[in-house]
Parts: sequence; structure tokens; C-alpha cells
Amino acid sequence: MNSPVKIWRNQKNIAGLVGKFGTILSWTIVRVPPGDFTDQAPYPVVVVELTGGGRITCQLVDYDEKHLVFGQNVVTIIRRVTHPDPDGVIPYGIKAKPV
Amino acid sequence: MKIYVTGAATTKFGELWGVSPRTLAHQAVGSALKDANTEASRVQALFVGNMLSGMLGGQEHLGAFFAEELGLSVPAFKVEGACASGGLALHNAVNSLVSGQYDTVVVLGIEKMTDHKPEDVATALMGAGSEEERSAGATFPGLYAILARVHMKEFGTTEEELAAVAMKNHYHASLNPNAQFRNALTVEQVMKSSRIADPLKLLDCSPISDGAAAVVLSTIRTKRSIKIAASVVATDTLGLAQRKSLTELAATRTSARRAYGKASVTAKDIDVAEVHDCFTIAEVLAMEDLGFFPKGQAARAISKGQTTVGKAKDIVVNPSGGLKGCGHPVGATGVKQAVELVEQLRGTAGKRQVQGAKVGLAHNVGGSGATAVIHIFKSPK
Repeated sequence: MNSPVKIWRNQKNIAGLVGKFGTILSWTIVRVPPGDFTDQAPYPVVVVELTGGGRITCQLVDYDEKHLVFGQNVVTIIRRVTHPDPDGVIPYGIKAKPV
Repeated sequence: MKIYVTGAATTKFGELWGVSPRTLAHQAVGSALKDANTEASRVQALFVGNMLSGMLGGQEHLGAFFAEELGLSVPAFKVEGACASGGLALHNAVNSLVSGQYDTVVVLGIEKMTDHKPEDVATALMGAGSEEERSAGATFPGLYAILARVHMKEFGTTEEELAAVAMKNHYHASLNPNAQFRNALTVEQVMKSSRIADPLKLLDCSPISDGAAAVVLSTIRTKRSIKIAASVVATDTLGLAQRKSLTELAATRTSARRAYGKASVTAKDIDVAEVHDCFTIAEVLAMEDLGFFPKGQAARAISKGQTTVGKAKDIVVNPSGGLKGCGHPVGATGVKQAVELVEQLRGTAGKRQVQGAKVGLAHNVGGSGATAVIHIFKSPK
């Protein structure tokens, strides 16, 4: 469950993950999503190897089918994750787009 | 100290809309106690393996809930470890006997999932993943699909070979009267089923199920008891991305190594295994990480029938039908695996009996491999 406090606390972590370059290690296309994501499906979820170390699992956006390949270069960006919660707080998070 | 399974039973698994969790618990525990020829008054503690009672049913405090329902005024615990909740409950029950605290306890694995719509179940199950994975909109089929894609690239594993895992497990389930799916399946049917999370399709995935399973454990050996030779748990990162390798589940490898050591056996000694095939790729990974086949070779071996009952020479895998064929009420699965192996080692598994089975292994996984529980069972013969 989301809460305004939790979203606020996590934003500090999110800021440090924006604008990182990396490559796609593996991917899937989620066609049967969790409840909060029904209006976004189908969408790709990728595991990215970040240049300079570390890996992240995130959605791929602004993509064409040709970008769903091993080793595709991507960059992390900040995007809305799901709908605003009943308190009106918009959950933002990290996604990736091809470069 | 030696620990024995003295009684074992499962309910029917499936979409049991007319059956409540209370009824499931009565059926499983009642049958297990009868099988053990033990009175309820002999039970000193109850361990309940369950994942979703809070998120889906709104009911926590599950130990006391089922103790009351079963008329057992004894210490009672809910043990949670995602889809490994059942195996983890069994492990805790074994520990309680090893400690000398009790001499007879009951383990109940139980889950009620089909009262809720699939999106809500998918959201609840993602409670087993990492915050990062939830934020990505990942699902468990999606996470295992990510593992499948790397396995296909590294070892040439094909979608048809994965489909053969589902075909084999449905064949076994067709021989199991308590299984959710009694229908045979072809590779073509799997390949043509709707896509869930590419490259995984609907029939690569275990179903959403209701069901319960129970075992009676005791320090006292009985005529029909089966020995627990090892009970081991290992953990790994919740999220896939934080792991070194995407072609293995390290928690499975670690727990297998320790379990073989404790039971003084090797992978070659296992006659029958119940492994965690939540998705077809998961059985392939399990076969390799448990040491039954070299890395990259399990999918081909499974598709050739090398683990099918009646065909296999060395080891039969998932004679119950596995999670895919028998069904996967998540908290019940780890306990159901134990029940199946008890029947196999007693020689009472009917049409799906593995001839001459003496050593059995149960492999129960939570999440995408963050928890792995392994039990090794030995027949007294």
C-alpha cells in the first residue's frame, strides 16, 4: 500500500537513480498486470545493467519493438508509476527509455 | 534426534468456491490425524503455512484462528515465506521437535485464492517481490519470463522444451485424484495459449488455486512413518536484479548442498522429487540447481521424458503434477509436496507410484528465489 509518507521518503532514493545509462540484460512484456497497472498493459519490464555498476528492474517506455534486444542502450528517467492515491499524492519512480 | 512424518493428507486442489478455509483445514488436518492414527489431544503445537490471508482475506492472527477452528488449545503460529510458506512452516515445526519443546505437532499449509479477481491476486502475490519490482509493474510470470529469456539465450532452451514441462506435469496430474487439472496437455496447446509475460504463456504458468495439506510430525517412530533426513532453508535477495546470475537460483543451490550433506546423500540418490514449478522455466532451473542435470541440459532431458513416471530411469519429478498440474494454493504447496513424497515412499501413490522409491526431495521456493526450502525424506526400508 502506498502512503504519502512512504512516497516522500522514497523520493530521496529515486533522485539518485535518474539519468543513468545502461544496457538491457533481459526483458519481458507484461500482458496480465497487477491491479494498479491495468491501464498501462501491455508494457515491457527490463533488467538493466547500469554503466558504473548495479542493476535495476524497471519499465521500458518510449520504445519500438526493435529496442527489445539484449544489450540495447537505455537511460533512466523519472515517470509517474501508477495513479495518484486517495490522498492525491502522485507516485513517481524510475523507468528507462532507449537511447 | 530423529523426526518422522506419521500422518499426511491433502484436500482436493482447485477452484473450490463452495469450500471455506475453515472446511479445508478440517479436511486436511482431520485426514492427516486419522492417517497418523493419532488423537487431536496428542497434538502439542500447530504450524500454519500461509501467505495471503491478510492481504486477500483480511484475516491475520491465523495461528489462533485455525487452532480455535480445529479445537486445538495449543501454541499456534502462522509462518510466512511467500510461496515457500508451507515448506517454511514444516521447517519451523521440525525445529520445534528438535529443540525438545514438543514431541507431536501438526503442520497445516493452506491458501484460499480464487475468491478474488486475478489482478488483486497478482498484486497480493507481488508482495513477495522487491519494492523496485512492484514499482516496475512486474508480475511473477514476468520475473520468471526474464529468467527464461536469459536461459534461452545462454543455453539454447526453446519455448517448446518449456512447454514439455507443462505437458509432463499435466500427465502426472491426470493420475492424481486430488489434482486441479486432470486433463492431458500437448506442446501445441501450450504454444498456442495466450501470452501472459513473453516468452511465458498461460499454460507455462501454475494456476491460482484453493487447497490445504497437513502433516503430523513426531519424534516417535510408527509403523508407517517416513523419516525427515534434512530440513534446510536458504535466502537470497528479494529482487532479481540484485543477484549475480540470472540463470540460477542461488538459494536453491545453497540449500541443496546443505541438505545433501545433512542427509548423507547426493543428487544421484534421489528417486523422486517434488520441485517448485510455479512456471515451466522454474522446473528447469530447479533440475539444474538441485544437481539432477548439468546447467543448460535439463529442458532437453525433461522434454525427452527422463523425469516422467513410467519412463524415467533415475528420477521422477513432480509425480503429484507439481504446481502446474496439481495446483498452487501458495501456502499449501510446500506441505503438499511432503504429503506426496510420504505417499511415494510408503508405496501408496497408486497410478503415479514411482517404483522402488526410497529417497525423496521436496523443493519449495518463495518469490523469484529469495527463499528456498529443501526437505529430504527417507523410507524406513
